Amino acid sequence: MKDKLRRFLRIDRRWIFLLLTAVMVWPIIHPFGLSGKTSQQSVRDFYDFVEKLKPGQAVILGTDYDPSTKPELHPQAVAALRHLFSKDVRVLILTFISGAPGMIEELNQTVPAEYGKEYGKDYVIMPYNPNYMAAMTQMSIDIYKAYDKDAEGNDVRGMPVMAGIKTYKDIAGVIEITGTGMLDAWVAYAGDKYGVPIIGGTTAISQLGFGPYLQNKQIRGLVGGMRGASEYETLISKPGKATSGIDALNMAHLLVILLILSSNLILLVIKEK
Amino acid sequence: MENSMSIILGGWLSAGLTIFLFSFLYKDNPLFKIAEHLYLGVGMGWWFIVLLYGTWIPKAYEPFMQGEYVLIIPVLLGLSLVTQFIPRISWISRYGFTFIMGYGAGLVLPLNLATDFMAQIAGTIKPFSQLASMSWGAIINSFLIAIGAVCVLAYFYFSVEHKGIVKKASNIGIYFLMIYFGASFGNTVMARFSLLYGRFDLLYDFSGASYAFATPIIIILTVGFFALKHFMDKKKNSGAAQP
Amino acid sequence: MLIIKKYIPLAIVTIVGLLTLATYYVPAKASSAYLSTLNQWEVIVSGFAFLLGLISLLMTHYKKIAKRVDGWGYSLFVFIGFFAVVIPGIISHGAQAKDGVLTSLGWAFRYLYNPLAATMFAVLAFYIVSTAFRSFRIKSVQAFVLFIAAFILILGNVPAGQMLWDAMLGWTGICGIGDIIQWIMQVPSVAAKRGIMIGITIGAAVTSLKIIFGIERQYMGRD
Repeated sequence: MKDKLRRFLRIDRRWIFLLLTAVMVWPIIHPFGLSGKTSQQSVRDFYDFVEKLKPGQAVILGTDYDPSTKPELHPQAVAALRHLFSKDVRVLILTFISGAPGMIEELNQTVPAEYGKEYGKDYVIMPYNPNYMAAMTQMSIDIYKAYDKDAEGNDVRGMPVMAGIKTYKDIAGVIEITGTGMLDAWVAYAGDKYGVPIIGGTTAISQLGFGPYLQNKQIRGLVGGMRGASEYETLISKPGKATSGIDALNMAHLLVILLILSSNLILLVIKEK
Repeated sequence: MENSMSIILGGWLSAGLTIFLFSFLYKDNPLFKIAEHLYLGVGMGWWFIVLLYGTWIPKAYEPFMQGEYVLIIPVLLGLSLVTQFIPRISWISRYGFTFIMGYGAGLVLPLNLATDFMAQIAGTIKPFSQLASMSWGAIINSFLIAIGAVCVLAYFYFSVEHKGIVKKASNIGIYFLMIYFGASFGNTVMARFSLLYGRFDLLYDFSGASYAFATPIIIILTVGFFALKHFMDKKKNSGAAQP
Repeated sequence: MLIIKKYIPLAIVTIVGLLTLATYYVPAKASSAYLSTLNQWEVIVSGFAFLLGLISLLMTHYKKIAKRVDGWGYSLFVFIGFFAVVIPGIISHGAQAKDGVLTSLGWAFRYLYNPLAATMFAVLAFYIVSTAFRSFRIKSVQAFVLFIAAFILILGNVPAGQMLWDAMLGWTGICGIGDIIQWIMQVPSVAAKRGIMIGITIGAAVTSLKIIFGIERQYMGRD
């Protein structure tokens, strides 16, 4: 008996890989629709912040993620942009990550059309800038020193979306979606120094690290990982990719719990360290 | 470029590369190595194009052509970095590096002190000025945060010997760190599954008729490849054993 | 020669560092003009820093191909991948879409870069599961604390886990698992992260000062 258990502990890990594949693919083919109803405080704070914006105000949407974290962050960016557009807020989309322009293009091709938003009037996409420190400090002095042209090389000065915007004073908030240190950077370079409200969306891995900023209100709201994204989608009543992914997450999490418990129970039975 | 043929082709390429990378889970193999090396090249190529059209042309070349000749300084500083590859004159790259380091250090120092040092100390102390208006739960939590932060700092403070009160504090600090790392691990699990879900979801999309059944066909071909390779290796080995 | 090789670069780091530092505390027009100029320069210089990485990657693989070392054929794919993005990029002048239609660069991003980058990281999910099974062991009190925190997060992060918790412990009337997670995130992890943050900042501040005053100069290489 003990030998069998011991052998089970040393099972070829490729069986575990196969099991994980099975439990995650199953709900993708046959969705159960088991999603959560509650939401975390920090997600509600994010939602409330956007909810309180007034039509015509301008917001910076930092989309600093690439395909490697897309399933967690792209749904957050989609939901945030939908929410902003539904409030008729002007949006300046920026990025400091080289893989992000492709993600922004995906946003550009889908979301604005849903709300009848026009490029140059309701939103603008700025080119990738490799140096966030430079751009963030420069925007405190003169936004056009950092961004005089949009991503396609058009002059942004004449665009209606930029009307009346010169520095951070003319910006109602920065919403930063990222798994990198860019959210920390916005807190330091724009939030703390110039008083711009900072709101964040981040990966589950980075989420806990922002606890101190949240407690200090250096960040006013935070959406973390796919769970946070699905909660935000629920709040704006626009279920998207995050909500449909919860089924697969459910199954995978249950599998991990089962595996951790069973291996520790087996160890207890065979009394091995 | 965007017609149905190019979309189907894209689906096949996407599904194929995804499955090739996943094939490493079975074992290391040429399909995985090809995809892995492609990734290196594609990533660098993408970065190059984004920098070329996002920075070099609009921020350096065009303004220079319009008469901002002073920009020759950063361009020279930038070019100096490349002398790294020529050992005899690699010292020239110091000009570029010292510029980057000086700028970075000067900019980061005050901001980090304000955001991650002063603001954090203030945030820890502030609740204690509002105790009268706080609930018992909030008061206890504020104490826990303050004690925890101090104890974790004690743990990281290597300048004094860890004994007596410092040792006790750092021992308590370890427990706070363990909760933090444990919770981080829990969230990491969720993050990794989310990414995997993204791939599976896409492979499922590519398995339909609109993509000419890319996923199932490529999976079958990949499995066939492994079977064939297994068979050939076996034959080669038995051939070697009986010369 | 020593002046050109050593002292001028050291002067650059000190002067640029101190002036940039000063701009934070001196809100004068001159300081914002200085910062503006330097910011613009920095964007250009750091763009060239990328070239370093690119050249070294391409050189490494070129050498492998030229010397026909074992597995040199794979190195060809580094170049294939590189040009598969760069050529469409130059043809479409860096634009990913024109009039709502993907250019060849946009296509390369979506169907080439996207799956490769995304899958590279997604593969880690498999290893985290097998690690959880094989090495997530309770061997001490500290490990037990770590285990409990991780377990609560894994369980409570998904609706199925929340339901499981309610079904098993709901009758006791103690708080839901969501509240416990909220508390972990807002109290002990804030304490731990804050301690780490303050510690790191002290270290980084000392390093920054050492760089500015030329005490730390490892990045300059040997004399």
